Amino acid sequence: MSEHAAAITLEGVGKSFGDNRVLTGIDLTIRHGEVTCLLGPSGSGKSTLLRCLAFLEEHTEGIIRIAGEPMGFAPAADGGRKRLPDAAIGRVRRNLGMVFQQFNLWPHMTALGNVAEALRLVRRMDRATAEARALAQLEHVGLAHRAGHYPSELSGGQQQRVAIARALAMEPKIVLFDEPTSSLDPELTGEVLSVMRGLAQEGMTMVVVTHEIGFAAQVGEHIVFLDQGRILLEGRAAEVFQAPRHPRLAQFLQTYVDRGASLVLQE
Amino acid sequence: MNFDPALILASLPDVATGMAITILMWLGGSFMGLALGLAVSIARRWGGRWARLVLDAYVGLMRGTPFLVQLFLLYYGGPYAGLDLEPVQAGLLGLTLYSAAYFAEIFRGGFEAIPRGHVEAAVCVGLTQAQIIRRILLPEMTLLVLPSLINMFTLLVKETAVLSIITVPELTMVITAIGSANFAFAEATFLLAVSYWAIVEITGLIGRFIEGRLGRYRLV
Amino acid sequence: MLWTHIILLGQGAIMTVAISAVAITVGFALGVLVCAARLSPVAGLRGLGAAYVSFFRGVPLLVMLLLIYHLLPAIGIDVPGVVAAIIGLTLSTAAYQAENLRGGFLNVGTGLVEAARMVGLNARQILLRIRLPIALRLVFPAVVNEAIMLLKASSLVSVVGVADITRDAQNLASSTYRPIEAFTIAGAYYLLLNIVLSGGGSSLSRMLGRHRA
Repeated sequence: MSEHAAAITLEGVGKSFGDNRVLTGIDLTIRHGEVTCLLGPSGSGKSTLLRCLAFLEEHTEGIIRIAGEPMGFAPAADGGRKRLPDAAIGRVRRNLGMVFQQFNLWPHMTALGNVAEALRLVRRMDRATAEARALAQLEHVGLAHRAGHYPSELSGGQQQRVAIARALAMEPKIVLFDEPTSSLDPELTGEVLSVMRGLAQEGMTMVVVTHEIGFAAQVGEHIVFLDQGRILLEGRAAEVFQAPRHPRLAQFLQTYVDRGASLVLQE
Repeated sequence: MNFDPALILASLPDVATGMAITILMWLGGSFMGLALGLAVSIARRWGGRWARLVLDAYVGLMRGTPFLVQLFLLYYGGPYAGLDLEPVQAGLLGLTLYSAAYFAEIFRGGFEAIPRGHVEAAVCVGLTQAQIIRRILLPEMTLLVLPSLINMFTLLVKETAVLSIITVPELTMVITAIGSANFAFAEATFLLAVSYWAIVEITGLIGRFIEGRLGRYRLV
Repeated sequence: MLWTHIILLGQGAIMTVAISAVAITVGFALGVLVCAARLSPVAGLRGLGAAYVSFFRGVPLLVMLLLIYHLLPAIGIDVPGVVAAIIGLTLSTAAYQAENLRGGFLNVGTGLVEAARMVGLNARQILLRIRLPIALRLVFPAVVNEAIMLLKASSLVSVVGVADITRDAQNLASSTYRPIEAFTIAGAYYLLLNIVLSGGGSSLSRMLGRHRA
C-alpha cells in the first residue's frame, strides 16, 4: 500500500436521529500517514462524523470504508445498503483506535490494567506479556511511573494519555480523537497535545476533532471544516488557514484569534 | 418494674441460639437474595422483552407489598399450593425473594449509572459483549452500588425480626418468649431493642470500614 | 364470597391509611425538630438528635412496637393498641425523615446562601426564605418514598392487635381456611395504595419541579 493510499473513504454519508438531521452528503477521503482535523462550530456534526467512522453511531446513509473495507453497511446488489454482521464490524474496527473526550478509562482498573485488558482478552496474550507490552506503551506516553495508579488518582491530562496508550496498544492503523482536550483544564492540554504531536511525527494516521485551532494549524495537514452537518470546505492546512476564503470559516477562526489562539503554521 | 438480672443470665444459652439463628437467617437470606437479585437484573437487561416484563412485575410486586404479607402467603398459603415449609425454610425463602427484588433494583441503577463511553471504549478495543459484561460492566457496577448494597444488608438485619411472627426461633421470638414466660415483657423487649441497636450499629461500622477500604477505586 | 372478602379487608385498609397518615404527618413535624437538633450549634442538642436517629433507625419496627406496647403499661400508662401503634410508627418514621431533611439542607448550595447574604438577608430570613423552601423541595420525593415504606411497615401493627389490612387478612385466613386468597387480597390492597401514593407523589413532584432547586 502506498503511503498516501486512502485510509478512510466516505461516500454520501448522512446521519439522522429521528427527524433531526445531523450529517448530510459527506464525501471525504482520508489518506494514510496524514493528520486530518475536523473543525467546526459546536453542533456542526463533527463528533458525530467521527463516531460514525468507528460505527459507534450508525450512519443512516452512504458507505464508509476503512482500509478499503466497508464499515457497518456494505453496498447491496439492489443499490441499497446491507447491515454487516457484528463480527465483520469488529474486524474492521481493529484498524481503529479511539480516544474520547471523557477519557472513558475503566475506573476499577489501574492505568496498566486499562492498557493491558484488551491485549489479554482480544489478543489473548498471557498476563506477563500483556503487562510488559502495556508498560512499554505507558512509557511511550511518559506515564510508566503511574502504571499502578487508578484513574481517580491521575490528573485529567494523565488519564487522557493513558487512554491514548490504551488505544495504541492494539496497534491500530488509524487513531480517532474526539475532542481529546476539551474536558481538560487549560494547563493540562499541553501534555496531551505533545503526545499527539509526537504520534503525528511518527507518521500515524490521525483523525482529530478539536477546538484547538493552534494544534490544527501546526500539526494538521488536511483540514475539514463542517457547518450544519455539511463539509463547508476542505484542503491543505496552509491554504485553509492563510487565506480563509469562506466567510463562515473566517468568522469561526476570528473567534479563536479573539481568544488569543495563535495561528502559527507549520514550516 | 422489677428488673431481674438473674433471669437474663439463666436464659443466656437460649438468647445465644436465637442470635445465631438471626445471623444465619440474615446472612443466608441476604446472600441468596443478592445472587438472585443479580441474576434478575442481568435477565431484565439482556434477557429480552418477556423476561423483562415478567421480572419487572416480580420486582414491582415484592417492593409494593409488605414483607409480612409475603411471609404469611408463603408460610400459611404455601401448604395449599403444595409448598409445605418449616418456619426456618419459609423464612429463608421469603427473605431471599423479598431482598432479591430490592437488590435487583440497586443493580439496575448501577448498570444505568455506568457512562456509555466506558462501554464504547471497550467496543473500540475489540472486547465482545460477554467480555464487556464480565470485565467492565459487572465490576464497575459493583463498585458503584457497593454503598447501597451495604446499606441494604444493614436494613435486612432488622427485617429478620419479622420472621418471629411466623415462629422462626430467632432473637425476637426467643426473647419475647422468655418475657412472656416470666411476665417480664417490658424488660425483655427493652433488652431486645438494645441488642438490635447494637447489631445494626456494628454492621454499619463494618460496612463503613469496607467502603473506606474501597475508596481507592472511587469512580471519577 | 370473594367480594365480601374484599369489602371486609377494605375496613382494614381504612385503618392502615389512617394510622399511616397520622404517623407520616406527625412524624414529619417531629423529624423537623430532630433535624433542627442535629444541625443545631449546641453540641448537646446535636448529640441528642444523633442518638435519637441512631436508636430509632437501629431498632426493628416490630421490636419498637412490642416495646411501646409493653413498656407503657409497665410504667402505668394504659393505651389501646392503636395508640401504641401510632406512637411506634411516628417515632420511627421521624428518625428517617429527620435524616432526609438533613440531607436536603446540606444539599442547598452554599452559593445560594452566599448570594442571599450579599443582598442583605439576615440569618433568619435566609433560613425561612431560602434554605427551608429549597430543602423541602429537595426532600419531597424522599417524603413520598418514606410514606410508601411506612405504609408497608404499618402491616406490623397487626401484632399489637390493630385491625389493619394484615390483621383482617389473618382473621379471614383462619376463619375461611383460604390463606392464599386472603393474603393475596391484602397484598393487592397494599399495592394499590402504593401505586396511588407514588402516582400522586410524582405528579405533585412535577408541579414542584417547575421551580426545581
